[in-house]
Amino acid sequence: MQKFRSTQSSWRSRSRVLATAAFTVSIAVALGGCAGQGAGGGTSSNKGDPNAKVTLDFWNPLNGADKPAVDQVISDFNASQDRVTVKNNSQPSDVMYQKVLTAVSSSDGPDLIAMHVGRIPQFADKGALQPVDSFYDNADYGSADIIPNLVSASEFDGQNYGVPLNQATVLMYWNKDMFKKAGLDPEKPPTTWDEFKAMVPKLTVDDNGDGKPEQYAIALADHEGIPVWQPLIWQNGGDIVSEDGKKSLLDDPKSLEALQYWTDLVKNEKASPIGLGGADADKLFQTQKTAIEIVGPWMTTAFDEAGLNYGITKPFAGPADDTILADVVSFTVPASADATTRDAAYEFIAYWNSKKGQTTWATGSGFPSTRSDLTADELKENPYPAVFGAEDVVANTRVLMPGIVAGPTITDSIFNPALQRVLNGEGSVKEVFTQASKDIQAELDKANK
Amino acid sequence: MTTLASGSVRARPVRRRRGGVGTRRRQITAWLFLAPSILALVVFTLVPMAQAVQLSFTDYNLLQAAQWVGLDNYTELFQDPGVWNAFWNTILYAVVVTPLTVLIALAFAIFLNQKLPGRAFFRTAIFLPFILSLGVIAIAWAFLLDPNIGLLSYWLGGVGIASGRSWLSDPFLAMPAVMMVGIWKNVGFYMVIYLAGLQSIPAELYEAAKLDGAGAWKRFRRITLPLLSNQTLLVTIMATVASLQAFDQIYVMTHGGPFFRTETLVMLIYREGFQQLRFGYGSAISLVLLAFVFVLSMIQFALSRRSTVRY
Repeated sequence: MQKFRSTQSSWRSRSRVLATAAFTVSIAVALGGCAGQGAGGGTSSNKGDPNAKVTLDFWNPLNGADKPAVDQVISDFNASQDRVTVKNNSQPSDVMYQKVLTAVSSSDGPDLIAMHVGRIPQFADKGALQPVDSFYDNADYGSADIIPNLVSASEFDGQNYGVPLNQATVLMYWNKDMFKKAGLDPEKPPTTWDEFKAMVPKLTVDDNGDGKPEQYAIALADHEGIPVWQPLIWQNGGDIVSEDGKKSLLDDPKSLEALQYWTDLVKNEKASPIGLGGADADKLFQTQKTAIEIVGPWMTTAFDEAGLNYGITKPFAGPADDTILADVVSFTVPASADATTRDAAYEFIAYWNSKKGQTTWATGSGFPSTRSDLTADELKENPYPAVFGAEDVVANTRVLMPGIVAGPTITDSIFNPALQRVLNGEGSVKEVFTQASKDIQAELDKANK
Repeated sequence: MTTLASGSVRARPVRRRRGGVGTRRRQITAWLFLAPSILALVVFTLVPMAQAVQLSFTDYNLLQAAQWVGLDNYTELFQDPGVWNAFWNTILYAVVVTPLTVLIALAFAIFLNQKLPGRAFFRTAIFLPFILSLGVIAIAWAFLLDPNIGLLSYWLGGVGIASGRSWLSDPFLAMPAVMMVGIWKNVGFYMVIYLAGLQSIPAELYEAAKLDGAGAWKRFRRITLPLLSNQTLLVTIMATVASLQAFDQIYVMTHGGPFFRTETLVMLIYREGFQQLRFGYGSAISLVLLAFVFVLSMIQFALSRRSTVRY
């Protein structure tokens, strides 16, 4: 992406140490780029050794209630054959993303990495990942049965860098007991923005009148967690960036209107506390301090254990749209993996997405399946895959900023800080987000240069 | 960043009082004794530092070859509002934390230099945070300050001060919160340095002053304070450098938020390097910080050299 901005002579004038290092790195990248040599030595550069024993160090951010289900699928796979052994190395996502690049550039990094699709372009752009188009080209791996929307979410720059691991549709949880106590029908969650707005005065409770409610209508996180504000913008017909990733749409009147509506609700009517991280929002719902949370299927276990009486449904629709956010995690293969490792990884990925693998995963975790052909009946052991994978839910989902290199930067360094600024009363929606839109445009231009 | 942390924290030894005339043999012995630390210094500090200088003129992300961009990183950083924001946050942090740390350390030292019941306990209690990892401390404080499950919020609520929300997400309270943790962590160490200084002041001086009719304040002002100026110099420089490098508790407690209100230069270097994967740009910022810390330490030295006391 970056242009080579120096002349030949200044390049030469640099110390030999760095030049050598740079050379070594470029060789490594070049080798990784053409998928390296098979461990068998005599094989061609694109063919792995099908007999070599391989151990795969599998990094993934599934370290919560979903981890036991991951472990189960892995141990089933390891037992199903004796050539490939997968080792589960799950870690908190923020920690993992900070380590990926250094780990991939070293010789003993991970062999298989699962990451949120929004992260893939950033790492692919830096040359940390290799395309996995060959997985899709080989009919034996059965990729035809994977939901196409999930497959396309990991495309970047004309190639596909990922294979779906899961899809988390982000739905609305509501606490029925709290609805009843507020005098609302516990079986009738809000279905539109305005219905929700009408409920706020009943659900936000400040009994002692100290200005700090003891209970909130909803918990809307503004950092570190599943994005909840961006879908609100979609639901009003606005957007963050255009689909081709070239233009910021945050200053579109519809985007600003959505932000105005919701920041007003939070600031003036105290619909949600300010300054929540994703984990804070989960905690509030779990301790019955908020009546509604919009979050993915991974929280069902914790909420069930807390004994909450809650329901799950599609989030309330906006004036223009009722799009639902889908958070997709995909398998990626580091650029440093050789063909043998890559093929071993493909075998595990194929098993993961097979009927057997998906049945274990979905019933174990409550996540919907990545396949289009698993019936509710086959997953009935766990009620949640059917809820989160319901046809009218899945048909209506969207991934946040797929294929955009600057995606993580836009969310963490521009959008969230701008939102916090407005919620804390440091500027109006119009001025803060118009500026944020300019910053986003600058990031997009930098990446598209 | 490592470069920086180890590079500028290097405590400069107080100037050698007198240069002895050693034989050649003694010099060799001295060098041999110094060799291990010099080697460590070169390998872990000077070499990475030189590499950081080199990186700062490139675009580098660990995987692709570094690309020479000349002074681009430097011209960019002086125009980057993010850098200026982090710079002023760092200054604010240092201006508040350094004097408070030194003053509180001095106060504790004087107080605990007296014969009191439980003196050893209090000394240990105040010193304890220093030997704990700042990361661990920060996690503990984040829990204490949590608006929903935090003990501190609970106690404050009990006495009628309802902290309406989390300190750490409040744009006006987040900075004081991380400052408080920074002070709390380091005060014990500086207190010990001051205690050592206090105990080396000859008691006769106080006796003589007492005979001459000097009151407690006067004795403190005319004897204690001047005779502690060596310690004050050391402690001030160390505290300044430490506060200009504030990172750990900010990283753990606020991540630089809300909206960059607590983002210091080192936090920014970390964000640019490890999150935006711009190691060249991060190196450039770290070198500017290094230059700043260096100049500041030199000024402090120059200003206080005159007041160095011997007795």
